[in-house]
Amino acid sequence: MSDFHNRSQLVSTRRSDYVWQYEYYDDEEPVSFDGLKAHRYSIVIGFWVGLAVFVIFMFFVLTLLTKTGAPHQENPDLAEKRHRPEGRLVDINGHQEENEKAFSRPLLDGSPSYFNFYISEEDQAHKKRKLEDKRSSTKDKVGRHLCSSEIEEMHEDIEESGGHQPLNGLIEESKTDRECAFLSHFNIPNFVNLDHSSTLGEDDLLYEPSMILERQSQAHNAHCDTY
Amino acid sequence: HLLTSYSTLKSKRTINTTAMNQTDCPEVKVPFLVFFTVGIISLAENLLVVVAVIRSRNLHSPMYCFMCSLAAFNTIASVTKTWENLMIVLADAGHLEKRGPSETDLDDVMDSLLCMSFVGSKSSFLAIAVDRYITIFHALRYHNIMTMKRTGVILGLIWTLCAVLAVLMVKFFDFKFIVICFTVFFIISLATICFLYIYMFMMARIHARNIAALLGGGRDRSQHQRRWGSNMRGALTLTILFGAFVVCWAPFFVHLIIIVVCPMNPYCECYRSLFELHVVLMMSHALIDPAIYAFRMAELRHTFRKMLFCSGWKLCL
Repeated sequence: MSDFHNRSQLVSTRRSDYVWQYEYYDDEEPVSFDGLKAHRYSIVIGFWVGLAVFVIFMFFVLTLLTKTGAPHQENPDLAEKRHRPEGRLVDINGHQEENEKAFSRPLLDGSPSYFNFYISEEDQAHKKRKLEDKRSSTKDKVGRHLCSSEIEEMHEDIEESGGHQPLNGLIEESKTDRECAFLSHFNIPNFVNLDHSSTLGEDDLLYEPSMILERQSQAHNAHCDTY
Repeated sequence: HLLTSYSTLKSKRTINTTAMNQTDCPEVKVPFLVFFTVGIISLAENLLVVVAVIRSRNLHSPMYCFMCSLAAFNTIASVTKTWENLMIVLADAGHLEKRGPSETDLDDVMDSLLCMSFVGSKSSFLAIAVDRYITIFHALRYHNIMTMKRTGVILGLIWTLCAVLAVLMVKFFDFKFIVICFTVFFIISLATICFLYIYMFMMARIHARNIAALLGGGRDRSQHQRRWGSNMRGALTLTILFGAFVVCWAPFFVHLIIIVVCPMNPYCECYRSLFELHVVLMMSHALIDPAIYAFRMAELRHTFRKMLFCSGWKLCL
């Protein structure tokens, strides 16, 4: 497979003397550069222009996906809820059955519809919070800490999978409460082991949306405590 | 040895080098120092990732294992490339005999390692994408689907496959077949990764909007702004991920294709004259990989800080 041709006329201008040949690479007929119609680097230029166009096109497609509408139209009930931040808890509980009917799926379905799971879990979390307002806040916080560490790990995984800044918002806004409630309710042992891997407060990006939910839940706790 | 034969992969010059035509495409030479620097830096980064993941117990999760595997393959690639360049420089300076048996054997070994690291890094990208997919779409069953044992099995499979493929490729198959195989594998892995990430991105965006709509709460304006901003960031991240992959690997593959398809064409010749630039691009992908994948994880950065800035190992556990 390796033949050596002494390309002496080329050796002096080359950095390396390694010469290996294969059958269709004919050494005796050098490439002739006469009579080129287009610019000699036209393939190079064409390739890089094509690559740049592809990358920019991909970016625009992604931003377009960002801007164009979601397939689900918002419920008029949901739209109405938006204007009542204080009574939000009650509203969500009030609409809980509807939402569950509309979106509920078995919890461990593993269905690709992440959204459905979130909606039903969100409602359950809020229901739990309302009904168990006597539950010690310490336990909640510990649970949240453990859950947060696990969620942190997932958040980091997801954050780096590209377009998941929105998913960060998604997760921070819904999972922190919902899944913590879910996890502590179902007592999944795996999630407890990761408490030492917690990186709370490490990364602002992950925490920026979560602060809002923290504040909200504190507001709700305060609200419940006044009863 | 076919892959390291720079002479055949590089451009073919016209026979009268004494009278260089204006239409000639001179070979673009990249100084050895550039190769060496890129190789050393990428080696350092990837080795850091590997060591951090292995040493720190809380990074023993499937995600980090796949990143460790990717970093290990990149380490092998940068070591091999740097070593090869070193050998070429030494050979040019006359310290090494180019056709000696030990050199050709070494050449074979380096080619196998390069093949292995290429296939391995692509497989690791695929594994990371699939892992992220499962993380998102089967979130609660993630720990049942992706146990550490299965991760170990998957990584073992990837490494074994790469090693076997590398040895086979270099020993038994001819160049054309290798080129076709690599190109097909490259395109398949690119398409799969592209599909997985874009699907994740789309679903995440849809879900984010719906969850935000459900949570509602009178913070419409700022929320919409924030979501738009974060979506833009997501799009930018995805673009960087794919853009880097494509920009770094495509030139080299087009080079391989051009060798097979049009070895005598002068236009193709001019493309081939940029071979060293394309190799540098390929090596720089190993350099920017940790920046795009590993260093973006807060947990890993935290571990690095502990590793690098702690005075004693025992104190910093």
